[in-house]
Amino acid sequence: MIKLIGAMFIIISTTWTGFEASRHLSERPKQLRQLKSALQSLEAEIMYGHTPLHEAARRLASQLSKPLSWFFESFAKKLTDTETTVKDAWELSLKEVWKLTALKQAEFEVMKQFGETLGRHDRHSQQKHIILTLTHLEREEADARDKQDKYEKMVKSLGFLTGLLLIILLI
Amino acid sequence: MGLDVDIIFKIAGVGIVVAFLHTVLDQVGKKEYAQWVTLFGFIYILFQVASIVDELFQKIKSVFLFQ
Repeated sequence: MIKLIGAMFIIISTTWTGFEASRHLSERPKQLRQLKSALQSLEAEIMYGHTPLHEAARRLASQLSKPLSWFFESFAKKLTDTETTVKDAWELSLKEVWKLTALKQAEFEVMKQFGETLGRHDRHSQQKHIILTLTHLEREEADARDKQDKYEKMVKSLGFLTGLLLIILLI
Repeated sequence: MGLDVDIIFKIAGVGIVVAFLHTVLDQVGKKEYAQWVTLFGFIYILFQVASIVDELFQKIKSVFLFQ
């Protein structure tokens, strides 16, 4: 009886690990897509709306869903509340929020480089920088989707099968 | 006799699971991991079988070479 309960625990935990890993894999392209649409809205706000940056960031935060909205929220908050440069505020909020997302180091570098250009040029060069960042993110998204297709199923079945193997070895 | 049947089922179970793992890893192109998994499964079963065969030899020894 105790053996059976232990076996159940083992198989549940390993299967759960597998599903969690696969969720992480499927979350990354989704969040990258959101990030892209966020930058596109930012471009529209800058080019056509002439919105100040903290205002635009606040609007983006209300438009987006959870992990990315935190980023723009903290960015807007830093811009209004503290005496920093845009670059520092952008980088700090990136660092704060990045651990909570499924995104990786490559995207972090892209976004950091974008933050260095933000608010330092006229509108047209700013638009060019946004387009450049979008291209980089596009490439990362293709990469992320490739990885998802390849590994999502594998990770799921790997978790379950490892649990099964462990049980057979321990019985 | 109960123990023997148990161990046969165990070996069969390990074989099935390792075969599945091999196929899954093979399909995504992780050939080297697949080979390692199969190798470890094989070695584990080999040890089990070796200990059982050892038991058998001990028994034969005690039947025929009684002091």
